[in-house]
Amino acid sequence: MQFGIFSVGDVTPDPTTGRTPTERERIKAMVAIALKAEEVGLDVFATGEHHNPPFVPSSPTTMLGYIAARTERLVLSTSTTLITTNDPVKIAEDFAMLQHLADGRVDLMMGRGNTGPVYPWFGQDVRQGINLAVENYALLHRLWREDVVDWEGKFRTPLQGFTSTPRPLDGVPPFVWHGSIRSPEIAEQAAYYGDGFFHNNIFWPADHTKRMVELYRARYAHYGHGTPEQAIVGLGGQVFMRKNSQDAVREFRPYFDVAPVYGHGPSLEEFTEQTPLTVGSPQQVIEKTLAFREYAGDYQRQLFLMDHAGLPLKTVLEQLDLLGEEVVPVLREEFAKGRPAGVPDAPSHSSLLATAKEKEGARA
Amino acid sequence: MKIVLVSAGLSVPSSTRLLGDRLAAAAAPAATAPEPAPADVQVIELRDLAVEIAHTFTNGFPGRALADAFDAVAGADGLIVVTPVFSASYSGLFKSFFDALSVTDPDALAGKPVLTAATGGTARHSLVLDHALRPLFSYLKAVVVPTGVYAASEDWGAEGLNGRIERAAGELAALMAGLSTSRPLPRRDSFEEVVPFEERLAALRPTG
Repeated sequence: MQFGIFSVGDVTPDPTTGRTPTERERIKAMVAIALKAEEVGLDVFATGEHHNPPFVPSSPTTMLGYIAARTERLVLSTSTTLITTNDPVKIAEDFAMLQHLADGRVDLMMGRGNTGPVYPWFGQDVRQGINLAVENYALLHRLWREDVVDWEGKFRTPLQGFTSTPRPLDGVPPFVWHGSIRSPEIAEQAAYYGDGFFHNNIFWPADHTKRMVELYRARYAHYGHGTPEQAIVGLGGQVFMRKNSQDAVREFRPYFDVAPVYGHGPSLEEFTEQTPLTVGSPQQVIEKTLAFREYAGDYQRQLFLMDHAGLPLKTVLEQLDLLGEEVVPVLREEFAKGRPAGVPDAPSHSSLLATAKEKEGARA
Repeated sequence: MKIVLVSAGLSVPSSTRLLGDRLAAAAAPAATAPEPAPADVQVIELRDLAVEIAHTFTNGFPGRALADAFDAVAGADGLIVVTPVFSASYSGLFKSFFDALSVTDPDALAGKPVLTAATGGTARHSLVLDHALRPLFSYLKAVVVPTGVYAASEDWGAEGLNGRIERAAGELAALMAGLSTSRPLPRRDSFEEVVPFEERLAALRPTG
């Protein structure tokens, strides 16, 4: 099982000091957080993609390429890549390039973005959100698998004899996750292709996550990719920890109370009770995270949101120390217990390459 | 048969609630007549849910008590909704409840008989029923009972209110009986009726 972090990349004032980091500081902080993730033994760093203030990460492969050069093991991913408004041709090229530079330590997660206006900013129609996700991904899927593509669709100009370059590393496309909070169509899409499905699992009651994951697993089996239990599931989570749980609550409350998304709303206590947010000791984080399995089944990837709401870099790095030292080693051990033998790990470049070679061998 | 009374009265006791109770008391036996047992009546006091209603907008999902209230409304055979008049319209809390409901469950009121009622300090606001409540519930695809009941302070001591209550309750009861024999609108569950992916792909294929 993989553990990692995902960042929204928000530039938010620290409510305890009133100080707002500069864009440069925030971008460098994201890099520092990614490097720390590798240092403390995490497996994955994923960045969001946004095209509006107060967010900085508009150019994920630029950032991930830089992080790739400074890390050895970390898998670089996105949360999410906008399959609706990016040209699928450019996604194919950017991530294939990143694959080569990062020696295959790359996957990506498709999403539709968090704001309607992003569609017109890139010349698209928000009413076509699902259709854009369907058509653009169908093209992307082909561009990575066929050297020469003739293509015609509804949303972009036709392609004739087009070759996306560079070709994927070793002829193996990056593994793709599809992220969605509440669109069954996206769970269906992930299942159809046998790709992974990721639910961000934060801000919402667990029931939402459960329904989406169940649908994805059932449809994954329907399309003949394996049993429902073998489907590739990723979940988000959001935590704030201190050794002593009262300290965690006291320190996080001012950030929680004014945080983007849920700030100025429910109390910290209500929100932790109703959603997967955990604020407390490492032991509490372990217990709550292990319980995700009860509604999502045995899964492959757990990403934590650690660096939003204006938390200073120093605090986030301390959080990653706790995550890497006290939480993830226990989670690895506990999640391994009782895990059925047929449940696969998250696909990696080397596992996908081995599968591809096997298939080729079988054909020869 | 089940009637749900949604009351947006704020004070205790509240004349809004009082009007709602009178309407429910008249409608419950009428809805099941000639059976001797009256329809069940469940009361939802929006004052008790005010904070959860506000949090639905900040969080994106209803809290537990509010989710239960939404289930009750969706499961009712008929609704009685009563609001005080604020600034020449329904109260903000009243509107927010139905906003939060329609965000959570867009078809909750579709085809459902709804008796609208309002209270105010003066009879000058009585057209609030036809100018504010009726369009709101029409938009939400409810079947609005022809007679709405408005009670100004002076109505509580005057003749006429009882007759309007009886007439409106009778109309609600008739609609509940009539609509419950027709087939209910199928509730759409996008999780159970997934469009197979091939169909979505095919719909996007260029024709010709």
